[in-house]
Amino acid sequence: MIHVKEIEIKDIEVKLNRKAMIKKYLKFLLIPGWRDPDITAQEYEIEKIKSKRRLFRRFLTPLTIIGIIMVLFCVVLGVFAPWLTKIPLQEVTLPYYPSGILPFEPPSPEHPLGTTFYGYDILARIIWGARTTLSMALVPVIIAQVGGLVFGTISAYFGGLVDSIIMRVVDLMFVFPMMILVIVIAPMLGTDLFTTLTLYGLLFIPFYTRFMRSTVLQVKQMVYVKAAKTGGAKKFKVMFKHIVPNALSPMIIRFFGGMARTILGIASLAWLGLVDQTVANWGTDINWAQEQFTAFMAAVWPGFFIGIATIGFMLLGDGMRDALDPRLHI
Amino acid sequence: MARKQTNMIKYIIKRILFMFPMLLAVLIVTFLLSQMMMADPSMSLLNIGMDEVTLQRELDRLGFTDPVHIKLWKYLVNFFSGDWGVSYVAMPGTPVLDMIVKVWPKTIELVLLPIIIAPIIAVKLGVTSAKHKNKNKDIFIRFVAILGAGFPVFFIAKLLQMLFFNLRILTFEDINLPLMYSNAPEYLGYTSAAIVPPPPLFTLSYLAMLLFLIIGIVLVYKGAVSLKRKVMPLMEKENKSKRTKYLIWGGSLIAICLVLLIILTSFLYTFSYGTGFRIIDAILYNDQHHLWDTINHLFIPVICMVFVSLAPITRQTRSSMLDVIDQDYIRTARAKGVEEKTVLNKHALRNSLLPTSTLIIGNTTAALLGSLFIEISFNYTGLGYYMVRSVFMGDYFVIQGILVFSTIIILVGTLLTDVMYTIIDPRVTYN
Repeated sequence: MIHVKEIEIKDIEVKLNRKAMIKKYLKFLLIPGWRDPDITAQEYEIEKIKSKRRLFRRFLTPLTIIGIIMVLFCVVLGVFAPWLTKIPLQEVTLPYYPSGILPFEPPSPEHPLGTTFYGYDILARIIWGARTTLSMALVPVIIAQVGGLVFGTISAYFGGLVDSIIMRVVDLMFVFPMMILVIVIAPMLGTDLFTTLTLYGLLFIPFYTRFMRSTVLQVKQMVYVKAAKTGGAKKFKVMFKHIVPNALSPMIIRFFGGMARTILGIASLAWLGLVDQTVANWGTDINWAQEQFTAFMAAVWPGFFIGIATIGFMLLGDGMRDALDPRLHI
Repeated sequence: MARKQTNMIKYIIKRILFMFPMLLAVLIVTFLLSQMMMADPSMSLLNIGMDEVTLQRELDRLGFTDPVHIKLWKYLVNFFSGDWGVSYVAMPGTPVLDMIVKVWPKTIELVLLPIIIAPIIAVKLGVTSAKHKNKNKDIFIRFVAILGAGFPVFFIAKLLQMLFFNLRILTFEDINLPLMYSNAPEYLGYTSAAIVPPPPLFTLSYLAMLLFLIIGIVLVYKGAVSLKRKVMPLMEKENKSKRTKYLIWGGSLIAICLVLLIILTSFLYTFSYGTGFRIIDAILYNDQHHLWDTINHLFIPVICMVFVSLAPITRQTRSSMLDVIDQDYIRTARAKGVEEKTVLNKHALRNSLLPTSTLIIGNTTAALLGSLFIEISFNYTGLGYYMVRSVFMGDYFVIQGILVFSTIIILVGTLLTDVMYTIIDPRVTYN
């Protein structure tokens, strides 16, 4: 009994220490020039060198901070949309036709950025559109990444016939021009939003399959995988418990780049009119306003916000890659 | 060297043979896609008021009621015998192959300048930004590059359109330029409207001639460069024969190509065919209205395309340059006292060009299919424009044709990439 109590007390001490250490580190990282009064000058220098190598320090370059701010801006627009505009979502999307408001009006106190097609308020549509854009981009990326993860791992782990079959299919998909294939298939399946997003995700599985395969082939040679195999672990346990967590970092890096590309791709699809028109979407806004040469700001504002979202995710992805993989510099 | 070359040739033959099953798979996929389409345009050929028995007989005759595998067999046979179907709506009554031959030169015309300009500017920008890493210049270049990659293509096109519209440059009023020689031979019937596109064989042979001409110029250039270079006296004899070989082969290739081009051109001229390239046609038939009109319409799309395709190449060049610059041999070169310019442009750039070259060739093949967003937003009737048009109108022979055509281009492009690898990086061998 006494023995057990001792261990518990030790654990609590370690936890307390950890909390104090985390506090110290956070202060050290976030407050410039801060130093702990307890440590000596030598320790301070050592800490400085150590912290430079740390992920967070490498992550916070000026361009990455700009990217984080851009992404946070879009997220804030999406999350706090009902507080940012007085106009509810139902009054700026398609089944509703506002009466008494002319389409393509210049800016006025009621409509700070003017009105677009059918007389919808542009600012309200942009703010509500942030929500749909982010969530719409999330669905295909997750589908594509999970699919790529599963197929890439299976193909690299089993090798042989399974590998060659999966890789031939991937090669076949790579031969087609992706954007053209999406544009050809999307109208066949109708304009249901979720169908379009799923299609988009499914068609982009091969990209992630290739990345995942190459990383899993490297991880497969590690000693701990062999140890797990000799320990008698089942195939799927080896794959998804021992290999996947160690091969995940390239996928995490590519998540942000994938988000950026998907936002652009879906905006392009919406611009062609192939995405559900009843959703507040920045691409659809550009589609509606592009013929208007007198009220062209109605097309410029949504495009500007698409740019903010994509550039934010791109910068974030670049910073992530710099931090996690110091060998590559982009 | 000789052994490596035979290996190389074997590899290329292997790859070309491997392309056929790939093409077959592509054909099957496109066939299945066309079967998935909801509206069948073959119905629109038939009269709606037809009585049922006649309709059924007509459908049987067309092969509409056949089982799927027989349809697939018919499709494959038709494909390899050059019958890719006839367009219904996009360009009514034209066979798809003729349509592609008619439309593709326009896309090439649009894309040719960006293909050449963009990599040059982008590599230069990437090198400068790697040279001044994390300084103002670097951050500025990265930001401009990311602007090109971040904003949608059609949005940039829109902004450029609005800019030029508001500045009143290159609008339709400017096309009425004073003609330098107003002797367009309209009395001969060679107006721009009367120019007929030639049969596919002509265009293909024209393109082949141009390709061989470029190869000849490269060979002559290589010979001339090696003539200039000072060599060690022992090696002189061997090298001299090599150099002259390059010059002779290149010169004869250029001469043959020029003669054939002149013959082909005179042939086109006598039968009043056009080449399909609007600029070449305008020069051949001395139609200056046509020429200035074409150039004016190409101006803004080309700017837009260069700006858009700048971004990825710049980023790739920068990253691979930074990878290379830390290497030991760069430090050695600097320690030897080599100029900084030479270190960057010869020692570093040559080694960092490998991933960039993949990207450049990939971009080129993608561009040859026509950047559909640029073509749509500028109403430029190239391949991408007709692609989207036929998708919206349900013209599925055209969709099939263009999809298969673009996959063929991509297959050839990937093959070229792999071959280019050995030229750029001699360490790469294929066994």
